[in-house]
Amino acid sequence: MIEISGLAKTFPAKGKDEPVDALKDVNLTIQDGEFLTILGPSGCGKTTLLRMIAGLMDWDDGEISVDGKPVRGPGPERAMVFQSFALLPWATIRDNVAFGLELRGVSKAKRNARADELIDLVGLRGFETRLPGQLSGGMQQRVGLARALAVDPQILLMDEPFGALDEQTRRLLQEELLQIWEATRKTVIFITHSMEEAVLLGDRVALMSPRPGRIVELVPVPLPRPRASAVDAIEGSAEFAKITASLWRQLREMQLFRRHSAQGRHAPSEPAA
Amino acid sequence: MNATAVNAARSHPPRFPARRHLTNAAPPAIALLAGILAWEVVARAWGVVFFPPFSAVVVRLAELTAGGRILSSLVGTLTNLVIGFTIAAVFGVGIGMLMGAYRKVEMALDIYVYAMLTAPSLVFAPIFFAIFGLSRASILGVVIIYSIFIIIVNTVAAIRSVPIALVEMGRSYCASERQLFMKIILPAALPLIFAGLRLGIGRAVKGTINGEMFITAVGLGAVVISAGRRFDAAAVLAVLLVIIIIALVAVKIVQIVDARMTGWLPSTARQQRTRRGGGA
Ligand SMILES: Nc1ncnc2c1ncn2[C@@H]1O[C@H](COP(=O)(O)OP(=O)(O)O)[C@@H](O)[C@H]1O
Ligand SMILES: [Mg+2]
Repeated sequence: MIEISGLAKTFPAKGKDEPVDALKDVNLTIQDGEFLTILGPSGCGKTTLLRMIAGLMDWDDGEISVDGKPVRGPGPERAMVFQSFALLPWATIRDNVAFGLELRGVSKAKRNARADELIDLVGLRGFETRLPGQLSGGMQQRVGLARALAVDPQILLMDEPFGALDEQTRRLLQEELLQIWEATRKTVIFITHSMEEAVLLGDRVALMSPRPGRIVELVPVPLPRPRASAVDAIEGSAEFAKITASLWRQLREMQLFRRHSAQGRHAPSEPAA
Repeated sequence: MNATAVNAARSHPPRFPARRHLTNAAPPAIALLAGILAWEVVARAWGVVFFPPFSAVVVRLAELTAGGRILSSLVGTLTNLVIGFTIAAVFGVGIGMLMGAYRKVEMALDIYVYAMLTAPSLVFAPIFFAIFGLSRASILGVVIIYSIFIIIVNTVAAIRSVPIALVEMGRSYCASERQLFMKIILPAALPLIFAGLRLGIGRAVKGTINGEMFITAVGLGAVVISAGRRFDAAAVLAVLLVIIIIALVAVKIVQIVDARMTGWLPSTARQQRTRRGGGA
């Protein structure tokens, strides 16, 4: 179980920039085996929140704990999948997938065997000795996913993992992720700015508001599982439409509110995702 | 970098390898022949002592080589070059890494590095001469002064250019500081470090010859000086040819080591890097 309470972070002023209240009083509890999607407009602090859970960034106030143990840095029970893939361009696909195991001192024979298993799982058999630069974006993110799964983490942290992919590739990968997740049932925190993606994948959708980022609502998604084999039916269902529509209403309100409150002050800048 | 990665990179050759090879080799060969021809014709037509034709230079080169003067000087020069460049490479890359990794070190050393990079390096020759006298150390000092700063500057840039995303990825998989350096930062920085080494070796050749000309009576530099005193223009140009060949071979060796160690780099990135590196 992941427990986040009273989490707050302000980025200090830099030069002419004012300080940024990135997160304020974020409270969230994620159960074991849950697939939680976090949805929010760009710049609302989603990446910041995930990096804190990953132990890659400090915060000012509040607490994050995994199974009761406070997070003080990265840990072997958490693995991250990056929006930019973050693959080693000089290492083969096999070495990339095995990288987390290599860092942990697993012998070459063992980690290669494990890597090949996962390369198989994500459908990249035959590409073991290629370099990342020779693969398409979708294939590269499959490598990123395989690398995270290879260390057999309890928790997968995914920061807009399909955000850099084209629509078709993204849909294929969503299905594959569902399949893998429904077979392994790891705890997943999945960040997205797509309402459809959030609803299709998640057990619950945590809706975040911008500046300072807060969880404004937790929306349960009572769609049946397994969903991997029924993506089209789910996306065509009335329930799916209802949830996405209500999420959209709230997101739109946030944006309108933000625009009004920003009038007279400097225009809200659009940060890189 | 391991063998499999290199093999994988090689399994994807450019689309028209043979044709590209031909078209790439032709222009420099033609240019070289044209240059030699022009040299010969102009020198013969002009007929002045200080500009002998190519053929005369080649003959003089053969004479010098046969007399043993070139070979014995060559050994001395190459020794100076190899020792000097090795020291410059080791310390240049080392200092550059420290500067790249620690802001405070960079802030402290930056001004010196850039001052020395722009200062005319030969100015330091008399200083080394005053300190070390007519010894090899004086020449090595000049070689190092010539080549180390460009290596430092490029290594700093190399460390800076390592994608933060990769470092963060390493951290998220619980890499130790040592692992971060050995498995992510170093391999990611290697291409730009080599760009610096390639520039460094060229400067080291210049430093060796200039040092020898200025300081001591050994090496090819000394041959140039004594030939110059005798107004033996053909000998000066003959030695110059040898020096140019040394420089080209030295750069080629660094390039080969580079290609072995950074074979994963896509060819487009390699070309860009070369252009940037060559322009500095
Ligand atoms: N390292 C940082 N220094 C200063 N400001 C930052 C930093 N990282 C993020 N921010 C700011 O915090 C806010 C939230 O950023 P982020 O978490 O990346 O948003 P999201 O992922 O939701 O798009 C943005 O306004 C961004 O500009
Ligand atoms: Mg983001």
